Amino acid sequence: MREIILKIEDLHKFYGKLHVLKGINLEVAKGEVISIIGPSGGGKSTLLRCINLLEDYQRGKILFKGEPIAHKNVNRIRTQIGMVFQQFNLFPHLTVLENLTLAPLKVKRMPKDVAYEKAKALLERVGLLDKIHEKPANLSGGQQQRVAIARALMMDPELMLFDEPTSALDPELVKEVLDVIRDLVRSGMTTIIVTHEMRFAREISDKVVFLDDGKIVEVGSPEKIFTQPDNPRTREFLRHFLSV
Amino acid sequence: MPEWLKVVLDNLPALLKGAVSTLQLTSLSVLIGLAIGTFVGMGRLSRHRAFRYPASIYVEFIRGTPLLVQLFLVYFGLPELGLRFDRFTAAVVTLGINSGAYVAEIVRAGIQSVPRGQYEAARSLGMTHGQAMLYVILPQAFRNILPALGNEFIALTKESSLATVIGTVELMRSAQYIVSRTFLSFPVYGGVALIYFLITFTLSRLVRFAESRLRV
Ligand SMILES: Nc1ncnc2c1ncn2[C@@H]1O[C@H](COP(=O)(O)OP(=O)(O)O)[C@@H](O)[C@H]1O
Ligand SMILES: [Mg+2]
Repeated sequence: MREIILKIEDLHKFYGKLHVLKGINLEVAKGEVISIIGPSGGGKSTLLRCINLLEDYQRGKILFKGEPIAHKNVNRIRTQIGMVFQQFNLFPHLTVLENLTLAPLKVKRMPKDVAYEKAKALLERVGLLDKIHEKPANLSGGQQQRVAIARALMMDPELMLFDEPTSALDPELVKEVLDVIRDLVRSGMTTIIVTHEMRFAREISDKVVFLDDGKIVEVGSPEKIFTQPDNPRTREFLRHFLSV
Repeated sequence: MPEWLKVVLDNLPALLKGAVSTLQLTSLSVLIGLAIGTFVGMGRLSRHRAFRYPASIYVEFIRGTPLLVQLFLVYFGLPELGLRFDRFTAAVVTLGINSGAYVAEIVRAGIQSVPRGQYEAARSLGMTHGQAMLYVILPQAFRNILPALGNEFIALTKESSLATVIGTVELMRSAQYIVSRTFLSFPVYGGVALIYFLITFTLSRLVRFAESRLRV
């Protein structure tokens, strides 16, 4: 059996009185790719953000490689969990190179030349080596998101979280980002991705999670979820979604 | 040459010396104000009450009391509690603490002007709160608030003339000496006004220049 990298047990999250996550249970094995789909406002982002403790939660447990994630160890654990945001969130005052090397230099105390070589290799991998000295403002959205992915990979994460990585992109820029993610997934990266790109989710996932109203309504193989979901809400969501 | 012009020219070195003192006084105060303001500005946004409350009290108190009273309090009041400063130091300390409250509000607005996602991206890479502030948030915040900080510097330059009341020798005080010897108020204070204006005008140009250089 493969090692369980992430284990979420009975996770509950409230924003004030609003009950946003209502008892989430999820296990992610090493190398596994999980897509989370579901209607807007269902709690997908909140779930991802709870995993690396960008949000506090009120009940439940999240274990990373068997270790509970808490405020006292979170900085160390975050270096092992990469996160890619819908809005890219590149640092606009820094060049692409500096975006990539900042955390390795300051957090991991990586030697400068090592960080530089690593940044070059990763930019090569996402096809943006020629932009190494550009500021983010001079890049297209798709390029910015690819840089953001490279920035996360600089820390050698063991788990990658993607929160709707292509939702803020013009349609013609979606593919270049999905190509990078696909390449990453094929290399064996353990991945949780929230996405509305159903075809992509179906192609890359080992498991698809349908999250609605703070609950995991249904989990299954992509084949199962996309062709014969058990739950009527999943069916309803997909019918609506695939028709638009 | 008219008599008044001769007097002004004869006393020009003294006035310029006063102007240099004003610049020293203001620069030192601005540095103190920046240091205090940066920390207090962050404190006002802290999740912890232990930082937030004292920061708020400081800002509200300083902004709610006249600088004149603050100068008297520091120079004449504190010695009674055993804390004695010379005139120049008292002025620097008071102006610095005073400016710190205004800078804090500017810094707070600057930090809030940086999208939340920047902080989260930094933290998600494993940076501590301090690292995220230092390398990601504050550089962007300061870029955004540079004009406001420049205005604060300019305001402080003018307000530093109040330090005259505790006898600090700066531009205004120098002018008063000259007037008390020569009885030529208009030309001397007119010259002083001109010097203040030249300083603040230069400052505002410098700020504008820095702003254009820093633009992304
Ligand atoms: N910072 C916040 N404060 C209050 N409510 C929030 C906050 N963030 C999200 N919510 C609420 O939590 C619910 C889940 O949001 P989210 O996790 O963003 O959903 P999704 O990513 O699936 O669209 C929504 O009802 C949303 O309005
Ligand atoms: Mg979301």
